[in-house]
Amino acid sequence: MEQFVVNIIHRPEMVPEYAEKVTGQGKAEDIGRKALLTESLDIFKLQQQCAHDNGLKTTIQMTYASLFNDEAVALAKEHHRIYGDEIALSLLGLPCEQFRRKYKTKDFCIWMFSMEDKKAIVRDVFGKFYERFGFYPQSTGSYYMDAELINFIKAEYPSVKCAVATCWEEGPKAYHTCNNSWYTFMDGGPWAPWIPSKQNTHAPAANEEEDSGIVAIPHLSRDLLACYDGNGSNFGTHPQNVLRGMIYDTETWEYPYLYNLIDQYRSLAKYNNGYAYNMMFVGPGWMNKMGRWEAPYELLKKSYWDGCAYYGKLKREGKLLDMTMAEFADYYREKKTYTEPECALWRDILYGSNKQLFWYCDPYMRAGVNMDQGGAIFDLRPYAAKLPWPVGIGTPHVQDASYPFLIQEKYRAGYFTHYAGEGTIRSAKVCHNGEEVDLCLCRTKAHFSQEGSNRILTLDPVEIAFADMTVKLQTVITFAEGQSNIRIDRNVLEMSDPDARVTINEYMVGCYGTTEYTEDMTSLTLGVDEQSLDYAYRCRELSAEKAREAWCCLPPIKTRVSMTCQGRDSVGYVKEGYAFSPMFTLGYTGTLKEKEGFTTWLKLQKAD
Amino acid sequence: MAQATKGRLNYRCPSCFMRDLDIDMFYDAGKQEFYCLRCQFVGTEEQVLKMNELVRIRYKDMHKRFQDFEDFSEEA
Repeated sequence: MEQFVVNIIHRPEMVPEYAEKVTGQGKAEDIGRKALLTESLDIFKLQQQCAHDNGLKTTIQMTYASLFNDEAVALAKEHHRIYGDEIALSLLGLPCEQFRRKYKTKDFCIWMFSMEDKKAIVRDVFGKFYERFGFYPQSTGSYYMDAELINFIKAEYPSVKCAVATCWEEGPKAYHTCNNSWYTFMDGGPWAPWIPSKQNTHAPAANEEEDSGIVAIPHLSRDLLACYDGNGSNFGTHPQNVLRGMIYDTETWEYPYLYNLIDQYRSLAKYNNGYAYNMMFVGPGWMNKMGRWEAPYELLKKSYWDGCAYYGKLKREGKLLDMTMAEFADYYREKKTYTEPECALWRDILYGSNKQLFWYCDPYMRAGVNMDQGGAIFDLRPYAAKLPWPVGIGTPHVQDASYPFLIQEKYRAGYFTHYAGEGTIRSAKVCHNGEEVDLCLCRTKAHFSQEGSNRILTLDPVEIAFADMTVKLQTVITFAEGQSNIRIDRNVLEMSDPDARVTINEYMVGCYGTTEYTEDMTSLTLGVDEQSLDYAYRCRELSAEKAREAWCCLPPIKTRVSMTCQGRDSVGYVKEGYAFSPMFTLGYTGTLKEKEGFTTWLKLQKAD
Repeated sequence: MAQATKGRLNYRCPSCFMRDLDIDMFYDAGKQEFYCLRCQFVGTEEQVLKMNELVRIRYKDMHKRFQDFEDFSEEA
């Protein structure tokens, strides 16, 4: 039986994000204003009521500020007793007069503090929580929790078993949307719960040795297509996000998109051994009495009620399990193995494009496949490297918590580039008599299947039209659990000229980074078998017939990526880029006749 | 002329929203118009609301309720 689990989380944030800016416009900053505190608690009470009236339990994430408020503490205790809500502790909501006096800073994102300050704040906040409740929490979280922070919390407070640990694809896109003023750079993580490794939060643990000891959940369940090319904060299981995106009818105040989003997440159970997950976590600032994002308070309130009502309806119909975060951590540990991947075949539910993507995530990689581009891989994160990436003041990455990519078609172009050069993508070109067709231009759809430990995407065949011949070609992409590679089969089903041959060029154009801007490529080494060249932007190439592998070593992200091949007339090659195209290419060429196949494996390894 | 303020609601610039930028506009009570600090958009409340409807043009399936997420049979 399929199970769809929801975590509903509320936080009594005494100084809600945005509220001071919105309600306090025209006034000097005063985060201790009584009106602000009262309003915040009222919103928290309303959110709790929306959940409880719809038969849902919540996780109450107490904020540091709320631990100084007797009413908030009493409410949490009462709701735990009556409704079974979990009393947890958030590392969001740090700003308050007490915090600012003590730490003498306006910083509020726990992952951006120095490690020394992180430890001091965690001990302070957890200590205050114990003082108020007489126990330590089982759940915590923030928008992002770096590995060093999680490891410290787990060591000091072993009761913690669950944490909100990232926002999916919240990075440069969110920064730009907020007029370059919102510093949450955390692209490249899982979209669904996972067990973070001790080395890097975004990279799931491959075994017990790597296990950080907690189950991580994403902050919201986000649209896996819309968020990749747009503002993440418009497209999530957060009713006011949907309002922020203006995805509602202004006459009727209806928003079918919110329910489509929840339902599409429910549908993911069929790709994940019968399990699917949602998380809803709306901070009180989003339900401000002054209204937000053109929406009056009445609409903000209605949308939150409607969100809870929909989850409540699913629960009454036996289609949903509501859990607290701690309950979910136990459930997840019981349900999942370390190497079991998370899979999502996802369609556009908003723009009417009918585009279809597939997302795959396991301890070795996160990969995105675009069926509208013939099954091209448009995003690739090499988790196999388990890249240590400390963040915060005093580290090389004060704000940037993103897991680096090898391929990111939006930041480093994909198939299409202007004028010259190449963009990052993993695709193939089919060539005949001087004509060349890239599969990125062959729009199709895919079907998911599971055979043993293999997750298989079988794409509908595409027709390639040359001047004197047509070729019907099918792509099959296989992710083998725990193998850290992606197998791609191209099978020629039919040719209008059965005696003809076509050339296939399987390629991956890659680079590395976390943003749109290029990094120094000179530490990279490219090779085909034993031949190699040090990257120097000189547009050089290497190749070898029947090569065992074409490879690239990227020391800055401790990654080695390689391609191997099985097929007729295979030639492995690598291409160095140049200054206007700071990329590298790995590939194989070969030939294909009717009813023949050509197979490649893209492998990710930790580079020593 | 007195300084600008936030409007009755925090209207964002519809022109910037179309390029994925969220920027609250400010209200010039003297001219009874909203204006954007970042781009050159200026408009009355009525004009802003009209532009916000244009923003929604990109959401062709905004009113559609999906039943099956692997069914593309409606596709021509």
